Amino acid sequence: MLCLTFACAATLGLAACGGDDDDGGTSTGGAAATDDGAGKTGGTISTAYTSFPDYLDPALSYTQEGWQSMWTVYTPLLTYKHAEGAEGATVVPGLAEAMPEISDDGKTYRLKLRQGLKYSDGKAVKASDFEHTIKRVLNLESGGSSFYQVIEGADKYLEDGRARADISGIVTDDATGDITITLTEADGRFPYILAMNFAGIVPSDTPFENQTKNPPVGVGPYKFENVRINRGYDLVKVANFNVPDQAQAKLDTIKVEVVKNRRRQTQDTIQNKLDYMNDPPAPDQLRDVRAEYTDERYKEFVTNSTYYYFLNNDIAPFNKPEARQAVNIAVDKRSLARLFGGLLEPGCNFLPPGMKGYEKIDPCPWGDPTAAPDIEKAKQLVQDSGTAGQTVTVFGNDEPESKSLAEYLSDVLNDIGYKARPRIIEASVYFTTIGNQKTRAHAGFANWFQDFPHPGNFMFLVDGDSIQATNNQNFGNVNNPEVNRILDEANKNADIDEVADDYARADRLIVEGAHVVPYGHRKLTVFYSDRVDFENCTSWHPVYNLDFTQLCLK
Amino acid sequence: MSIADSSVSSDLSPVADGGQVEAAPDPGISPGALALRRLRRKRAALAFGALFVVLVGLALAAPLWADIAGTTPAKNHLSDTIVVDGEEQQVVTFDGVPIAPTWQKKFFLGADTNGRDVAVRLLYGARNSLFIGVVAALITTFLAVLLGTLAGYFRGWVDAVISRSLDVLWAFPVLLLGVALGVALALGGLKIGPLEIQGDSKWIPTLIIGVVGVVYLARPIRGQVLSLREKEFVEAARAQGAGPIRIMIGELLPNLASTLLVFFPLLVANSILLEAALSFLGAGVQPPEPSWGTMLAEGITLLATSPHLTIVPGLMLVLTVLSLNIFGDGVRDALDPRAKVRLEHS
Amino acid sequence: MGRFVIRRILGMVIVMFAVSVLTFLIFNVIPNGDPADRMAGKNSTPAQIEAINREWGFDKPIYTQYATTMEKVATGDLISYANQTNVIEEIKRGIPRTFALAIGAALLWFAMGTALGLYTAMRAGRWTDTLVTVLALIGVSMPVFWLGALASYYLGFKAGLFPNGGYSEIGEAGLWEWVKHMILPWTVLATLFIGVYSRVLRSNVLDTINDDYVRTARAKGLTERRVMIHHVLRNSLIPIVTLWGLDFGAVLGGGAILTETVFDLQGVGQYFAESIGQLDVPPVLAVTLFGAFFIVLLNTLVDIVYAALDPRIRLS
Repeated sequence: MLCLTFACAATLGLAACGGDDDDGGTSTGGAAATDDGAGKTGGTISTAYTSFPDYLDPALSYTQEGWQSMWTVYTPLLTYKHAEGAEGATVVPGLAEAMPEISDDGKTYRLKLRQGLKYSDGKAVKASDFEHTIKRVLNLESGGSSFYQVIEGADKYLEDGRARADISGIVTDDATGDITITLTEADGRFPYILAMNFAGIVPSDTPFENQTKNPPVGVGPYKFENVRINRGYDLVKVANFNVPDQAQAKLDTIKVEVVKNRRRQTQDTIQNKLDYMNDPPAPDQLRDVRAEYTDERYKEFVTNSTYYYFLNNDIAPFNKPEARQAVNIAVDKRSLARLFGGLLEPGCNFLPPGMKGYEKIDPCPWGDPTAAPDIEKAKQLVQDSGTAGQTVTVFGNDEPESKSLAEYLSDVLNDIGYKARPRIIEASVYFTTIGNQKTRAHAGFANWFQDFPHPGNFMFLVDGDSIQATNNQNFGNVNNPEVNRILDEANKNADIDEVADDYARADRLIVEGAHVVPYGHRKLTVFYSDRVDFENCTSWHPVYNLDFTQLCLK
Repeated sequence: MSIADSSVSSDLSPVADGGQVEAAPDPGISPGALALRRLRRKRAALAFGALFVVLVGLALAAPLWADIAGTTPAKNHLSDTIVVDGEEQQVVTFDGVPIAPTWQKKFFLGADTNGRDVAVRLLYGARNSLFIGVVAALITTFLAVLLGTLAGYFRGWVDAVISRSLDVLWAFPVLLLGVALGVALALGGLKIGPLEIQGDSKWIPTLIIGVVGVVYLARPIRGQVLSLREKEFVEAARAQGAGPIRIMIGELLPNLASTLLVFFPLLVANSILLEAALSFLGAGVQPPEPSWGTMLAEGITLLATSPHLTIVPGLMLVLTVLSLNIFGDGVRDALDPRAKVRLEHS
Repeated sequence: MGRFVIRRILGMVIVMFAVSVLTFLIFNVIPNGDPADRMAGKNSTPAQIEAINREWGFDKPIYTQYATTMEKVATGDLISYANQTNVIEEIKRGIPRTFALAIGAALLWFAMGTALGLYTAMRAGRWTDTLVTVLALIGVSMPVFWLGALASYYLGFKAGLFPNGGYSEIGEAGLWEWVKHMILPWTVLATLFIGVYSRVLRSNVLDTINDDYVRTARAKGLTERRVMIHHVLRNSLIPIVTLWGLDFGAVLGGGAILTETVFDLQGVGQYFAESIGQLDVPPVLAVTLFGAFFIVLLNTLVDIVYAALDPRIRLS
């Protein structure tokens, strides 16, 4: 997903292979994996977000803050393991009895609902609730609805327009609990899509309306209470939650408050007035928090994300490969890491290190990310491309990091022979602005955090087939035919391990073609008060960042 | 913003004068020369006036300093190192902490988080802030004189229209109006007929500040014109067959001069403060152009590790505005020690 | 007198109307992006945008939109573009905070300004006079958010004397907590005005102190103190009080926006600042009207009081 603030980072992954020293240490051994129950249960903690989640409706929520809570309140048919590290990225059965039976042609998925499931208000869960859940995602035009359009009949359902119309590709039987899903084509990403929070099961009487003011019941270790829009809400432990293999909550209550001022959040956490801070500490507190509290109350980890500059491959000057190469060479990743206060892992790849299909591109064709760039060579390439002296507008949004990044790139472009200026757009319209072909943006800031741990989720950003006139996510209009072909094939295969190499090859082609300027992967942080049992009970989940069910007090 | 200072007949004079008593005015000296003589005696006002001139001089010398420091206001030095006191230090550490003032040619006042030289940015920022302050004040003066004179001289429906419009503008919370316009125009720029201004041009905040200030000046001007037009010399000019324009320019304007001279330094001071406020809220000068307001906004986020980023531009701003205020005080005293330029409320 | 009041009130209504039109125009005429686009979110389709346009009436002519919006303001049904919250509710929540800030600061600067003004008037010409005057001028020359940020960080976080910003409800945490949270914001905001008020009072006092009727009072044998308080102070205060009314209106209207933002008080001004950053028109419109209302109200009150005191003004 796109990120306006680091806080909305949807999903993250730990560096699967032992990371570099810079990321503040690899994961501590936490006995927090599932419900071994180290650390005491009970108690209340307070946490703060910089902004209220976009929605408290599972069909609609598409931000990290939202998903952190959604996961604990609503369980889909499939879900992720409550474990740290690469293990946490494994899809396991949620409300379904077992992993789906997939037909040979990859188009039919058969699942069975567990028996005797109850929502947090005691109502029984029915298999047909699944179809209702998916209908809501489509009907409410959720940001996630495109993921589910691979289901047969989904397009017809949308065309029909009636909320209660049928989706032919979903067949359920309430008596037996059988659920059969038919796809229009094989899609290896579908198990992950079933595990996305959009598919968190809700009762069939949930209205076809944004339910944020009064979230529906779900099956999960927590439930929502005391929802005050824009102010906060509480997550309260559900007494009767007992889905086998699913973690029980440890804390009784988690109070979530919106505190827009990050400096205040940091100061309050330092002074133990706040128990958990989701955002990284305020920029001028970062150094001190790192120095004082690392591994005691504070930890950093690399996420499955990529920060990059897009370059418009369609219009001058960056339609010329030499021009794009020059930019890739000239960008100093060490400088960029400083703009993030060190919360960036410099890199050369487009795929992030924690992602399957990641193969480190070494040596980097554009220069060592940890060394000074060869500006002279970049200048020469600009001359060679014949685009020297052209005016370039570098887009960024008004969030502090993005602004600095846009200013930085302008500076670099001016250095190598262009006339560059930053153009700062207001954050909430930024991505739609650069996603509109009419804007004709030459270059600009972009980032992506995984929606789910599948490389296809990243590569679609540079897939020629994803280019659209508006709401384009392939901001640079990258259209490399060989890459397109590889992705077309690989996306169909449900077995990631088989196609990991293909994605790696596509990644390499993108980097070698200088189609974008990736410079690194974001590090995110967790910072606790000293009431929280850091040793035993804090668990970093690769998909959701924080696993609320694992938190406990000392 | 309170331009109420102007309703004060302040008395810095007893001290600044060095205790001299005002002698009976010599009828042979013109009012202007008299004013100048009085001004010369006000040591405090003159000192601060000189300070302001020095600050302007520094701002004009910005490119010179940029050469000495070997950089430009937008150039980043994020990954550079520099030798300070024999020790090699990073301009910006890996934690994102910029270097503190080095008191050397390079990074004399330290660096900011983008690795840019603060001293160079400060001076270029001074140029922008002073430019905006002075030009906005000029725009305000021009518009206020125009509207106030027209309203005061013609009265009747001209006055009604102008005064009601000013009432509406007066009701608009100044900062809200400025921010609203600033944000709206920063996005799309301004297009009036053939005139087109880019959204990130510094003319946008200049025009906005210039326009919102009009209400404060137009009313006193109008009041003065209302009373001036009844005076004999105006009657005489009319009797001689002078048209309204000739009267306005020839008779009224010169008499407004002293009011304008009193108001002008204060207008500049207030414009500078307003620019800082607008830039702080993101509705003023747009990146990467420096201004004191944008530097303050960036600096405040880094108080814990780099207080120089907040204190330095803040001090410079305060000194500039203070100089203008004190000098403006002195000017008012010199022009008319017992003046009470009142604000009209109705 | 009655007719005067009615005329003024009528004027107030007209001005409010004009302000609302102007604000609406600023955001709907100046090109600044499509609110439907913004609301539709990341993966919007043209159909979605069309639906939003219809629902919110963006496809109707501008005067219809204006009428609908104003109706929503009047009925309290105004919804924000950015996050679908009820704007009027949000403003209601912010009002006590903005009022707390404005009233506290206003009382503080009135008291301090008057005290300092009197003090410097009585010590006119001495070095204490100059010192206080210069200090006052420095206070006026500072950007309020700079002072606020420095105060909040050094006195608040570092020294631990005050909380890290934010607003404490009296009902929740008690009176003392509320005061603790408000002391710095009050002081910072008051600094802007103390200088001006002390100098206005000083000059008024110095002027009246030599007036004939004061000399008469002295000649009659009244004590210096009685003379000061009954004659001098009373006459000097009148312009101050009117000035205070106008400034108080200005602060309520929007002058507090910077102080609220720096101290994170979540008042009406801060709501405006956050909404404008997202180009969220309904809150911007509503807060502007709110602010204009107070400015105009206080202006009108001041006019009425003045007219009550001075019959000549009523007739103008």
